[in-house]
Amino acid sequence: MNSTPIQLSEENPDRSLAYPPGGLLIWIIIFLELITFGLGILALFYYGRQEPEAFREGTARLNRSMGTLNTIILLSSGYLMAKAVHYLKAGQSKKSFQWLLGTLGGGVLFTLIKGLEYKEKLAHEFSLGGNMFETLYWLMTGFHLIHVWVGMVILFVVAYPLRKSKAKINELDLEAGGAFWHMCDLIWLILFPALYLLY
Amino acid sequence: MNFTLERTWGVLVLLTIGTALIAHFFPEGTGVVVGIMTLAGIKFLLVAFQFIEIKKAHGFWKASLIFYVVLMVLLSFTAG
Repeated sequence: MNSTPIQLSEENPDRSLAYPPGGLLIWIIIFLELITFGLGILALFYYGRQEPEAFREGTARLNRSMGTLNTIILLSSGYLMAKAVHYLKAGQSKKSFQWLLGTLGGGVLFTLIKGLEYKEKLAHEFSLGGNMFETLYWLMTGFHLIHVWVGMVILFVVAYPLRKSKAKINELDLEAGGAFWHMCDLIWLILFPALYLLY
Repeated sequence: MNFTLERTWGVLVLLTIGTALIAHFFPEGTGVVVGIMTLAGIKFLLVAFQFIEIKKAHGFWKASLIFYVVLMVLLSFTAG
């Protein structure tokens, strides 16, 4: 992965089909994930039509404030991630590392708030084995949370060498980690209204 | 570039708060579903184009993401 450093210029990005930001492989993964979550969201819409009362009741039991707060946290950590990539491209690896720490902090905050939400749900018998809305809620938010954790591990591994001010890493590695992190944003931006707001 | 990133973040936060307020004050109606999911689609594209910088990539990647989000938003109109 680190064999050939690729220097990407902000002024002259590679616009060819094989070089999306972060590289082709990460975008194959991103589209597979978007399609997988998309199918889950379609199941949500389908069963929402079959069992409208259960879905209305289920949505009413979700904590919209926590969901909104978590959306803002994810978007903010996405902003920090974009800044980290910007600073690495500008040759400021130490600064990039600091912004990456902020990004990881966003992931930790998201996890804590999600944990509080899960605790609240479990205390009120909102379980995986409940109705279809509850099952889809647990499966989709749980699967999304696992992606956030995987993103945090990827970013930590990529960021660790940057803690030294003269550190050099492959920009493409950070862009790929960033693209995976932003994918968690993209999924949540569709999942949040579909689960918390529509019914 | 910095200004663009900062402004994008500000717009995303405002749209998120706006979406929550719409859902709170207008709990039902097809128009509300259309509004909420359209705002979600706009946020999706802002993250993709500004934060991931898909705007600098080949047209295929831009078109694929736009196709995906438009499809999800249109399908959401069938919900409930």
